[in-house]
Amino acid sequence: MQKTRPFYLNLIQIRLPVGGFVSILHRASGAVLSLVVPVLLYVFMVSLQSPDGFDRIRTLAGGLFGKLVVFGLVWALLHHFLAGLRHLGFDLGWGEEKIRARQTAWATLVVAILLSLAVML
Amino acid sequence: MRNVSGSHSGLNLWLVQRASALVMALYLPLFAIYALSAGALDYAAWHALFVPLAAKVATLLFVVALLFHAWIGLREIFIDYLHPMAIRLPVLFLFAVLYLGCLVWAADILWVLA
Repeated sequence: MQKTRPFYLNLIQIRLPVGGFVSILHRASGAVLSLVVPVLLYVFMVSLQSPDGFDRIRTLAGGLFGKLVVFGLVWALLHHFLAGLRHLGFDLGWGEEKIRARQTAWATLVVAILLSLAVML
Repeated sequence: MRNVSGSHSGLNLWLVQRASALVMALYLPLFAIYALSAGALDYAAWHALFVPLAAKVATLLFVVALLFHAWIGLREIFIDYLHPMAIRLPVLFLFAVLYLGCLVWAADILWVLA
């Protein structure tokens, strides 16, 4: 066997199939969601402690920066959720054909963005 | 030397990842319906959502699933990028402790509500 195999990982030039993008975003969104768990718990706690705390969170989430953060987290959750359902489908043997897998990958990408926008409105 | 790579626990964790995903995939839509059916969410309505014991139990089960899921997911990432065991194991330990703390914290947040 050849000892040095071709190695090509130029992220700018590499062309990923759509499933690759969905997969990378699945991991990235999962990492972000994992890391913000303590922050979200804190927000949850403050929102439940008093009417005053509830209003503070509402004001924070209503500002421009807050809206951007909320949109990012909602998108991360929805993308991770849908990509996860797609994977559970694979586990059951559903949608493993190339065409089907491409279709569900596109659907995951598009529906996650559309649903995030719908939640924000 | 004992093997600490965790390669013996892969299948179990793979299964826990699916089981915890299932718990969350059931909880989130059901909770969304539950919350939406409460009408406009002011503080009183938001607070009232978590008063019933069933809501506390379901939410805490969701948190348990979430924390297991997050830890297993991070472990996958660390296995790919954190190769020295002297770094990977302490980081995994740190997140385990952090998430255990989060679990106790979540239980406290929920159970002080009445």
